[in-house]
Amino acid sequence: MNMRRVVAIWFRILAQFRRDRRTLALLFVIPLVILSLLYFLLRGGGSKPNVDIVNEDTGPVGSVIVQALEHGDKLNLHHTSLATADADVNNGRVDAYIHFGPDFTTGAISSHRIQIDLRLEGSQPGASSAVLGALAQALQSAVSAVPGGAAPFTVSVNPTYVHGGAGFDTLDYFGAAFIGLVVFFLVFVVTSVSFLRERSQGTLERLMASPLRRGEIVLGYMLGFATVAFIQSVEVILFALYVLKIHNSGSVPLIFLISLLMAMSAVNLGIFLSMFARTEFQAVQFIPLVIVPQVLLSGVVFPIETEPGWLQAVSNVLPLTYAVGGLRDVMIKGADLSWASVQLDIGVVLAFTVVLVAAAAATLRRRVA
Amino acid sequence: MAVDYAIEVESVVKRFGQLRALDGVSLRVRAGEIYGLLGPNGSGKTTLIRALVGLVRPDEGHVTVLGTKMPDVAILRRIGYMTQAAALYPDLSVEQNVRFFAAVNGTEDNVDAALKFVEMSDRRRSVVAELSGGMRTRTSLACALVNRPRLLLLDEPTVGVDPQLRRQLWDGFRVMADGGTTILVSSHVMDEAERAERLGLILFGRLLAEGTARELTEQAGVQRLEDAFLKLSEVRS
Repeated sequence: MNMRRVVAIWFRILAQFRRDRRTLALLFVIPLVILSLLYFLLRGGGSKPNVDIVNEDTGPVGSVIVQALEHGDKLNLHHTSLATADADVNNGRVDAYIHFGPDFTTGAISSHRIQIDLRLEGSQPGASSAVLGALAQALQSAVSAVPGGAAPFTVSVNPTYVHGGAGFDTLDYFGAAFIGLVVFFLVFVVTSVSFLRERSQGTLERLMASPLRRGEIVLGYMLGFATVAFIQSVEVILFALYVLKIHNSGSVPLIFLISLLMAMSAVNLGIFLSMFARTEFQAVQFIPLVIVPQVLLSGVVFPIETEPGWLQAVSNVLPLTYAVGGLRDVMIKGADLSWASVQLDIGVVLAFTVVLVAAAAATLRRRVA
Repeated sequence: MAVDYAIEVESVVKRFGQLRALDGVSLRVRAGEIYGLLGPNGSGKTTLIRALVGLVRPDEGHVTVLGTKMPDVAILRRIGYMTQAAALYPDLSVEQNVRFFAAVNGTEDNVDAALKFVEMSDRRRSVVAELSGGMRTRTSLACALVNRPRLLLLDEPTVGVDPQLRRQLWDGFRVMADGGTTILVSSHVMDEAERAERLGLILFGRLLAEGTARELTEQAGVQRLEDAFLKLSEVRS
């Protein structure tokens, strides 16, 4: 082994990095961005689950438990009527409601059992478990304070779910989001790299010197990749639903529609961003820049409602947020096209696609001339 | 109009930052003429050709091609452009490449003729990635002329092509020119340029001299075109 030759390689690599400022910036900036995002998501966030309290209890036990919940300060509590709470939880305005019936105290004292009726919205597993955890903690501290506490109480929570339920596992919750994510990610990577190849092998120059118009190139690309994306979506969705048996309460064609729209926006995002890369290597670098923040911020893993406000604003302009929201609504809540939220999700993804088509066509000319 | 010009370039200036890639170039090419654009690497040949197809927008001056002021997308149907590197889809076959560019121009009926012209008919099913450099050049040429262009722009078409094939290609260019196609060929190879009817010497984005190979050597008072080029470029710089 000749150290001088090894050193030659060592220094050459460093020299190349100095030339490629963008890679260098990416190496040093992206980790900080991603870690900061995680910080805000996991620590800085902490907006609490919203829970309606319906306390009709004529005795004191209900109030004691509510006080313990307030003292624990893990939930945003709103006192309201049963009808309002029921409407709130069905609309997704709150994550849960806790109902204490009129004879809650008498029942508890006579049977030595405290049984809590909890109604969970259920589509966000994180929120559900936070509510359950806060309730368990409050009950523990409340039991010791209950009057007549000489007799031991057995405590149980009886949760019922609007969506999902105890039969749902983690895959059922995350499957919907990941179907969208997988399609978006792969289509984006494949499109941006192959469009870049069109540029580097010189055929784009040829196309631009032909009667083809820019819009025709972008549209042709979109159709080509959308065809592949469509087949991919069919495969992914059928596999998820019928082999992995991920829960679905909604219409399968609607799931296809949303994934396909998202694939189209991924195609155009790929074309648009490939304009800013000179090599395939640089195109691949867009992955941490484009994909990772979207994974963290679009509600795939962390519910958007628990993000700090300014981060929610960022989430609200990411196309993946709407696609994931739409897929969740359909698959977990059984939403259909008549739901306003699904209309919004589809509309926004569609609008993103149109904007990106225009942006891709506009940048096409600028980069060739 | 007394003379029918296929190309009219009037005092075209194109800057890239500090660099003046084209510094007041004017030239005219008659319809049916074979015009050789001669100059070293980086002299502005490719920029001029790209201006002819509207891919470069001049900062000053005008470019008119086949009577149409550029840039104009519609007239590109009548232009064949062979880029410097053989710009092809490497994972497609020879025929698929030619057929694609034919479809873009709406001339699918001409695919067989174009393949025959470059003598690639028997290799039409070969995948481009597996072809030799010369065969790629021929395929690239077929893509450039599949739309039956009235103006054919060839950017260094014979780089890396063996002498035998080079002669064949030039014979083919002659046949096309006789059929009324105007051809502009850029090159930095002097002996090749002599085959053009008229030459333009380009250096530092300026057209130094124009004329037949004989006129240029006589003007410089030398025997060989290469010497003429060196001498003429000294005078101007």
